[in-house]
Amino acid sequence: MYAQFFGNYLLSRKVITSEQLILAMKQKSIDHMKLGTLAIHAGYMTANEVDQIVIQQTHQDKRFGELAVKEGYLTQSQVTALVKDQGPDFLLLGQVFVDQGIIDNERLQELIIDYQSENELDDYSISEETEENVQHLIENFLIATERPLSPFEVSFLQLLFNNLVRFIGDDFTPIYPYPCNEYPTNYCVSQQIHGEFNIKIYIDMSEETAISFASRYVGETFEEFDEYVQSSVDDFLNLHNGLFNVNISNERSVELLLDPPYTEDNPLLIFNDTETYLLPVVFPFGMINFILEITVPG
Amino acid sequence: MILDNAKILIGDDSILARKQLKDIILGYGEPIFYEASNGQDAVDIYKKEKPDLVFLDIVMPVKDGNAATREIMEYDSDAEIVIVSSVGTQSQLKAAIEAGAKDFIQKPLNADLILHVIYTRFEGR
Repeated sequence: MYAQFFGNYLLSRKVITSEQLILAMKQKSIDHMKLGTLAIHAGYMTANEVDQIVIQQTHQDKRFGELAVKEGYLTQSQVTALVKDQGPDFLLLGQVFVDQGIIDNERLQELIIDYQSENELDDYSISEETEENVQHLIENFLIATERPLSPFEVSFLQLLFNNLVRFIGDDFTPIYPYPCNEYPTNYCVSQQIHGEFNIKIYIDMSEETAISFASRYVGETFEEFDEYVQSSVDDFLNLHNGLFNVNISNERSVELLLDPPYTEDNPLLIFNDTETYLLPVVFPFGMINFILEITVPG
Repeated sequence: MILDNAKILIGDDSILARKQLKDIILGYGEPIFYEASNGQDAVDIYKKEKPDLVFLDIVMPVKDGNAATREIMEYDSDAEIVIVSSVGTQSQLKAAIEAGAKDFIQKPLNADLILHVIYTRFEGR
């Protein structure tokens, strides 16, 4: 998603020329992500450690992951996680420049850190691409609701997108939202917002998806569906809704109230008297379902 | 280290939030931690243990962080309470300060802000 922006970033830093960027964008589409690049990005290995393993590979016919585990740089579960999660798109572009000898791994490591710290700040505002995605989502919601969305609903959807990008990752695709009368739950947490805008938000996912979701949210690798994984899902929902209340307070001087998150124990949710929409969001590690139960005034 | 043997109470219904806060604090010593998952438990633990510093979330079951702050302050007007919440609206900030909280930290947690809170209260201890 951010490959184009990373390319512009490298150009502005005069790390590469425009010709090199065009060639790399072409090469990127046929290359695969290397484990060493992913390990640097994840912060598991330094550039020096990756270089050491690459040198070892010239002497031994062994895979990168196998050698990195043997040297104690990575655990087997980290290798599995890295292989499964191919990392953000911009990383592949960076790797192409390393392969072409334009930069080395150490320089790539510095650029990743700088780029991400600058990008994290940008995530507080809506990037052009996210804005475009939000517009699509709002248009799709208009089809589902068959009525204009209130400013609260638009703000809510914008922030949900931004928070997914900021806290989980930008590699997701929202599916068309649609009205929902009943929903069979997996691991499901809900939270009610009261006041001038009344909405109950549910977040639901399988246990396996929750493990990957929590790993990204917390920045640690979780192996099983434990209380920390469950708490991560609660925490994301609570953080999102808290920030939404702050935005509404700042932008509209409207104070909304928030109930504590609640873990749904009912295997089947039934919605009779409210407008309820299901918004599925697909990440590479699984599907997250958001259910928005809206009480429309009047 | 600055926090060795200090008593710190963390009241938050999220076990993850409590762990993240503890992990940050452990960078500055080895305090004695007390944990509460709701406002009422936080009040009860405070009365029993008299911690040096209290971190409280606002949105909690049973009793919210502002109500717990008021109750702790009625019991001990010298209590050092810092609210840590995702709901950092002006009205919540005002309510927290009126209840007696000394500081307000907006989630997501920022290690530098936690460090600032710790040094303000424990420097020269």
